[in-house]
Amino acid sequence: MKSLILETRGLYKAFGGLTAVDKVDLSVEAGRITSVIGPNGAGKTTLFNLIAGVYMPTSGEILFDGKPLGTAPPHNRAALGIARTFQNVLLFDNMTALENVMTGQHSRSRYGFFEAALRLPKAHLEEETISLNAMKYLNLVGLGMYADRNPLSLPLGQQKLLTIARALATEPKLLLLDEPGAGLNALEKQSLSELIRRVRDMGITVVLVEHDMDLVMGIAEWVVVLDSGQKIAEGTASQVQKDKRVIAAYLGEEEAVE
Amino acid sequence: MLAKASDKWVWIVAGLLLVLLILIPFKWFLGPYTNLMIFIAIYTMVTLGLCLLMGYSGQVSLGQAAFFGIGAYFSAILSKTYGVNPWLAMLLGATATGAFAYVIGIPIFRLRGNYLAMATLGLGIIIYILFRQLGQYTGGPDGMAGIPYLSVGGFAFNTAFRRYFLIWGFCLASLLVSQRIVNSRTGRALRAIHGSEPAAESVGISVSFYKVKIFVLSAVLSSLAGSLYVHHLRFVSPQSFDFLASVVIVVMAAIGGLASIWGAIFGAAAIRILGDEILPRFENLSLLKSWDLDYLNIIVYGLLLIVVMVFMPQGLFVGMRDAFERWRLKHAQREAVT
Amino acid sequence: MSLDQFLQYLVSGLSQGSIYALVGLGFTLIYAVTKIINFAQGEFVMLGGMLSFVLMESAGIPMVPALLLSIIIAVVIGAIMYLLAIRSAKKASEVSLIIITIGAAILIRGIAGEVWGVDAVRPPFFTGEKSISFFGALIHPQALWIVGTTLMITILLHLFLSHTMLGKALKASSINPEAAKLVGIDTRAMGLVAFVLAAALGAIGGVVMAPLTLTSYQVGVMLGLKGFVAASIGGFMSPIATVIGGILLGVVESLAVGVDWGPFTSAYKDAIALVILLAILLIRAGRLAAEERGS
Repeated sequence: MKSLILETRGLYKAFGGLTAVDKVDLSVEAGRITSVIGPNGAGKTTLFNLIAGVYMPTSGEILFDGKPLGTAPPHNRAALGIARTFQNVLLFDNMTALENVMTGQHSRSRYGFFEAALRLPKAHLEEETISLNAMKYLNLVGLGMYADRNPLSLPLGQQKLLTIARALATEPKLLLLDEPGAGLNALEKQSLSELIRRVRDMGITVVLVEHDMDLVMGIAEWVVVLDSGQKIAEGTASQVQKDKRVIAAYLGEEEAVE
Repeated sequence: MLAKASDKWVWIVAGLLLVLLILIPFKWFLGPYTNLMIFIAIYTMVTLGLCLLMGYSGQVSLGQAAFFGIGAYFSAILSKTYGVNPWLAMLLGATATGAFAYVIGIPIFRLRGNYLAMATLGLGIIIYILFRQLGQYTGGPDGMAGIPYLSVGGFAFNTAFRRYFLIWGFCLASLLVSQRIVNSRTGRALRAIHGSEPAAESVGISVSFYKVKIFVLSAVLSSLAGSLYVHHLRFVSPQSFDFLASVVIVVMAAIGGLASIWGAIFGAAAIRILGDEILPRFENLSLLKSWDLDYLNIIVYGLLLIVVMVFMPQGLFVGMRDAFERWRLKHAQREAVT
Repeated sequence: MSLDQFLQYLVSGLSQGSIYALVGLGFTLIYAVTKIINFAQGEFVMLGGMLSFVLMESAGIPMVPALLLSIIIAVVIGAIMYLLAIRSAKKASEVSLIIITIGAAILIRGIAGEVWGVDAVRPPFFTGEKSISFFGALIHPQALWIVGTTLMITILLHLFLSHTMLGKALKASSINPEAAKLVGIDTRAMGLVAFVLAAALGAIGGVVMAPLTLTSYQVGVMLGLKGFVAASIGGFMSPIATVIGGILLGVVESLAVGVDWGPFTSAYKDAIALVILLAILLIRAGRLAAEERGS
C-alpha cells in the first residue's frame, strides 16, 4: 500500500464569481517528485496557495498525513511540515543569506522574549543549533561561501536556491516549489534538477509547479495536469504526454496566443 | 581582523560614553543639566518602543502617549490615593498596559497603514479624554500633585541627582534588553516580517502574533517610562499625554530612525535639547521677540517631520550612520588602492 | 426627550454633520486619486474659519470678498503642501506619507497658533442671528447656510466629476491610474487637483461653520478625525455616501448629547465619534482579513 502524504478531496475555490480551482482530487504519494502542470491560468498557483493555507477553500478539504488541515493558517502548516517557495522569490533583503535560512528554523526552535532578554543558556544553545543547521542547508544548495552576502546581491539562480534552503530549514515533509526553473539558464536548471532529486532522496516529498516541460519531464515521477481549474489528466510523464486532452489543452493555449 | 579592530573601538567608545554619562549629574561637571538628562532618558524609553514598532512591523502608532499616560496614572493613583508601594504600582501599571495593548492589539493589528494610524490616533485621544473626565480618580484637567518618591529600604530617590542614576539605569536596561531581543530568534522573526510577510508566514512565523508582541513591548516600555515620569515630577496632568505628545514621540522616532535601538537616544536627546535649550535662546533674538515658544516648538516639529521623511525616510540617525558607512568604505577603498 | 427637543438636536446635528461631510469629501477625493490619507485635512477647516475672521475683523475687508479670499488662501496653502511635501517624497512608503501629512498638519497648526494666538474667535454671521421657529425647534440662520452650502457643494462636486473634462479625468485616475496614464491623463497633476479641491472643501466648511461654532487654531485635529469617520462610513467610495456618513455622525453625536447618560456627561461627545471610528475600523479589519483569505 502506497502512503499518501497529501490528498485533496473535491477542492474548490472561487474568487467572486470566478472559479480558480474546480473540484480537484489530488493524491500525492510520499517520497516522490510530483509535478503540477497546465497552461497559464489553469489554477496551479491557487492550488499551492490553498495547500499552504494562504487561501481557504470555498469547499472541499485538504488532508496532510491523513489529517484534515481545516482552517490552519500558513504558519501552522509550516510547523506541521509543509514548506514552500514563491514564484517571485521573496527573500528577506534586510538580512544575510545565512540569516534568511535561519528564519526557516523558526518553528523548530522555542526560545523567546525572556530567554533572549536575560540571555539564558537555553537561548545561546538554541541559537548555536539554529545557525549550524542553517549552514548545513546553505551548503546543501551550494551557497555556503555566500553566507554573509545580502541575498539580493546574488544572481537570480542562486536566489532561488537560497529560497529552497530556507524552505528546507523548516525541516518539512512536503516541499512545494512554485516555478523554481523560471528565469534560470540551462546550467542552473540542471543543478536545480539535481538538487530536487537530492531533496527527494532525503525523504522529502516534492511537489512543483513548473512551466519548463524539459525540466518537468526530466525529474517528475508523477505528473498532474490542470486546465481551467480542473484536473484533466495524471500519470507518468510519458503517459501524460500522449493524453489527447492534455495535447488539446496546450494546443488550445497556443492558438489563443496566436 | 578588521572587524575585530573596529569591535574594540566600539567598546572603547561605549566605555567612554558610559563614564561621561556617570559624570554628567555632578555639580562640577554638567549638574545643571541633570533634569534635562532625566527627561531624555524617560523619552528614550518611549521612543524606543515606537522605533521598534515602526521598524519591525512597518506600522506607525499615533497614540503612544496613551500608554505613557496609563503607566503614569497607574503609578500616581495607586501610590498616592491608595498607598500602594510605588514599585508594585509601577509593576501593576506595566502589566495592565501590556494586557490592554494585547487585547486591543489583536483586533487593531488586522488593520494596516492609514487605517491603523487612524485607529491608534483615535484610541490615544479616547484615553486622553478619559484622563480628563475621570476626575474623581485622575484629578481631571488640573491633574494630581504630591505623588511619593520611589525608595529602596530607607533610601528615597528624593533628589534629581539620585533619580538620574535610577532612571538612566532603567533606560539603559531597556536599550540592552531590546538589543538582545532584536538579535535573537524573536528579532529575526520581526525582521522577516518586515522583509516579506508572506515569506515569513511560509517559514512558520505568525505575523499577527509578532506584530501584537512588539506592540505590547512598546506599550510596556512606555508605561514604565510613564511611572518613572510621575515619580520624578511628583505631578501628573492630562496635557502630557494629548495628541501633540503622541506626535512628539513620532518626531523623536523619525529622527532616531526606524528599527534603530541606539537611534532612540539620539532622537529623544535631539528633540529635548532643541525644545529645552536651543529654541528658548531664540526668544532673545529681536526678530523672534514676540514669538511664543509653545507654537515655535510645534512649527519646528512639523518641519522636522516633513524634511526627515522626504529626504531620509529611514530616520536622521540611521541616514547619517549609513552616509558615514559609505564614506568610510570609500575612504578604505581609496587607501587600499594607494 | 420631547419632540421639540428632539427636533432641536436633529437640526444642530444636521448642521454639525454637514461640516463633517465637507471634511470627509476632502478625505475621499484625495484618497481616491492618490491613495493618501491626508491627516492635515482638518487644518484647512481651521484655516478657512480663522482667515475669514482675520480678514474681516482685522483687515476690514467686506464679507463676500473676505470669504472668497479665505478660501483662495487655503487653496494656495493646500497646493504648496502638495507640491513641496507630498510630491517631493517620491516612492515614499505609506507610513512615511502618514508622517509627512501629520507634519504638515502640526506645521499649519503651529503657525496659526503663533500668528493668531490661542483665543477662540467668532466671525460675523452671514445673515444675522434671528432664529426661525420650526415645529418648536429654533433654527439659526447660519445653520441653514451650513446645510445649504453643503448641499450645493455636493451637487456641484457631483456635476464637476461627471460632466467636466477635468472631473472625468480625476475620476478616471482614481479608478484605474494605469489606464488613465495610457489615455494621456497626467495623474500627478490630478494629485494636485485633488489636494486643491480638498483644501477648498475644508476651507468652505470652516468659513460657514465658524460664525456658529466659533473656531481657534486647535480645532483641526478633531474635525479631521470626524471627517475621516464620515468618509469611513461612506467607505471612501462615493461623495454621496460620504455626505450621508457625515450627517449621520453629526446627528448621532447631537442626539447622544441630548440623552441623559447618568454619570457620563456631554464632555464625552468627542469620545462618541472616536468610539464609532474604532468600531468601523475594527469591522473593516475583520472583513479585510476574511477577504484576504477568501473565506
